[in-house]
Amino acid sequence: MDNEGVAKTTAIAIVIIIIAAAVIGAYVATRPPVKPPAVFKIAVVSDIGGRGDLSFNDMAFKGGDDAERDFGVEMKEIISMVEADYVPNLRTAALDPDVKLIVGVGFLLTHALIEVAKEFPDKNFVGIDTFTKWVDPQPNLLDVVYEEHKGSALVGALGGLLAAYYDKPYIGGVFGIEIPVLWKFEIGYKWGCDWAMGWIENNKPEMKRGIYNTPRDKRVLYDYTGTFSDITKGYLTAVPMYEKGAVAVYNIAGPLGLGINSAVKDIATRDRLKAGPPFWIGVDANQDWINPGFVIASMMKRVDYGVYYATKLVLENKFREAVAEYGNEIVLGIGTTVLGIPMEGISVSTLADLDEFIKMGVKAEELTGEPVLPGPPEWIKEKVAEMRDNQPAWIWGAVAELESKIRTGAVEVPLAVTENAVKEWRAILG
Amino acid sequence: MDVGEFVRLRLSQSMISKLPNLFMGYIRGLKRPLIESAFAIFVGLIVGALIMIIFRHDPIEGYISMLKGYGIFIAKRTFMTREFMFALAFATPYMLTALTFAVGVRAGLFNIGAEGQLYIGAAAASWMAAHVALPSGFHVFAVTVFAMLAGALWAVLPALLKIWKGVHEVISTIMLNWMAFYLVMYLAIYHLRGIWAHITKEALPTARYPVLAGSLTAVIFIALLVCIGVYIFLWRMHPGYELRLVGDNPDAARYAGMSISRAIFLSFIIGGLVAGLAGASLAVRPEKWGFHATLGDLMGYGFAGIGVALVGRNHPIGIIPAAIFFGGLAHSGRFMEFDIRISSELVGAIQGVIIIAMALPGLLALIRRKAK
Repeated sequence: MDNEGVAKTTAIAIVIIIIAAAVIGAYVATRPPVKPPAVFKIAVVSDIGGRGDLSFNDMAFKGGDDAERDFGVEMKEIISMVEADYVPNLRTAALDPDVKLIVGVGFLLTHALIEVAKEFPDKNFVGIDTFTKWVDPQPNLLDVVYEEHKGSALVGALGGLLAAYYDKPYIGGVFGIEIPVLWKFEIGYKWGCDWAMGWIENNKPEMKRGIYNTPRDKRVLYDYTGTFSDITKGYLTAVPMYEKGAVAVYNIAGPLGLGINSAVKDIATRDRLKAGPPFWIGVDANQDWINPGFVIASMMKRVDYGVYYATKLVLENKFREAVAEYGNEIVLGIGTTVLGIPMEGISVSTLADLDEFIKMGVKAEELTGEPVLPGPPEWIKEKVAEMRDNQPAWIWGAVAELESKIRTGAVEVPLAVTENAVKEWRAILG
Repeated sequence: MDVGEFVRLRLSQSMISKLPNLFMGYIRGLKRPLIESAFAIFVGLIVGALIMIIFRHDPIEGYISMLKGYGIFIAKRTFMTREFMFALAFATPYMLTALTFAVGVRAGLFNIGAEGQLYIGAAAASWMAAHVALPSGFHVFAVTVFAMLAGALWAVLPALLKIWKGVHEVISTIMLNWMAFYLVMYLAIYHLRGIWAHITKEALPTARYPVLAGSLTAVIFIALLVCIGVYIFLWRMHPGYELRLVGDNPDAARYAGMSISRAIFLSFIIGGLVAGLAGASLAVRPEKWGFHATLGDLMGYGFAGIGVALVGRNHPIGIIPAAIFFGGLAHSGRFMEFDIRISSELVGAIQGVIIIAMALPGLLALIRRKAK
């Protein structure tokens, strides 16, 4: 390039910079005044994935949103891109003097929470699904865990009753990687189905058909796929279950539910069905809206309540007391209380709580710019209501009965987290 | 003349008189790259600011938050050493993987194998640190050397493929990166795990580098020494000179009777050694003293090293400030996200623009070199 060319390029560059500087200057001069900060802040540090997963992370942020609405706190959020972000992200939140509570979402943040809780002894930390109490408990760090076995028992009972009603021999379950947490789901689900058979025997002898006549240890078809991400495997595992005559398949593998959904859709297209059976059963969030009419219910694990209740404890100055009282871990489930305050976290989805999850879908659509909901919200609600009304009332009644029995302690759902316990229960229930 | 006078005279003739010239020459050599880089970062910042304006964020606030990643807290008028240490913790592996790429470029190679060599180094370090008991003092040394050798071993394959079969290093190193990824994931899940299935077993206390602050360990001093060592090797030692000449002008090097194969092999081995060290620096550090079986703690450092090397002009010393620049940037995103609610994706875009602008002069130099 000759000198003239260089001069020209430089001149153009300088002009561009001057224009850009002028634009920025004008913008800065006209920027709105800064809002006065809220006094009480909470921070939510997500696991990898962040907003828009319609599940774990979104639920945690929803809990923060609800706390903002009800308690007037301000929620700050940081998304983790890789595992190496956990510690610096938690620290960034803790560095803000107004932040009183920092929530880490997901069991992978266990070690990071311990590290940062040690560094900031004056701040309060919460881990959702974490196991810090087994690693290195801290007086300012609380694990929030859930009674997934109880929720699984409820949907297991629902599935069993449906199978009897529709005269089908099986219910199914598609599981992820075989880790102890999933055993809780598996044994709970099988136990719920078994309870339903007992209920039929005592209350509805005319329904002694279908699954009731299947041997006790063969009623639940289940498979550990070894993945929490391969949606195709969800499809391939669910297809033979439906072919054998499973009335519903329980999704215990996160996104693999979409694979189960594809299997259901195939059958619906082939047989020109407008609603199930076949059904599938959602997990964690309320997934009933994903394919209205074909998702009979969801086992909801309210991660949002975990964030919400933790905020409440901190606001009422009861957080440290709770940490000390409950050995660094609170359990949210059915009929659970913390320091005398009812705090639940497990339930079977109802029509009433469908709204807030449709909202989550709408928000995800805004974030990604892609359609997430299968149709307009009103249509979804109508279809789900219709599907629920089409099942006999005694089924819903029996599930409600089981729930109240669990709540009062009249029955106890087995909690299997060791290899031996799982072996024992598999010997009985298959 | 007496002895003292003689010494003074000799000194003035040799060192003292030459020093200013040497120094000025070095500064003159630096002037152009420095001006170019300053201009590049300026352009990058302007474009980043425009992005923030388009998405209705205040660029001034954005950049004030970004500075926090370097420990500079303008609102509080303080310098937070601890935050800067975190930036340095990110900078340490960047420095080393950049060195892998830079030594490759100096020998005329486009070696992007640091990513995989880093994984292998991390796995080797984790095994030696957690599963082998050795006396304290020697253990840390053994972990470091073993990780470096493992990284070098992974680099031998593309080196030999290149020398024997003429397989282009871009192809072979990309393939080996993926092989390393799945191999190390397998090792982490089935052979390196401790109590928890998702994390490798934590390093024994005897194998741990001393912690300076947060995630920053004394391994940064080794990294700095390695940078200086590679500089001395390339510019002050005969094999290093040969390596550079092969990169600059292979025909001349061949004519001068130099072994091109040896230079290429050497470049790969040095690259593998330092990438292996980067792996050790990531695998043996707080808070887990191990790494996640997803490899999320290790991923991306090898490729980021290419950018660091380009910003540092593929110079072992230039890489040091470039790595610190990248380290601060890596640490700053969370502050931007937290303070002014910029989405993490947008933070990535802004940082990307700044990085591209900064790497552009180095990239152009690389292209010019290739064109020649």
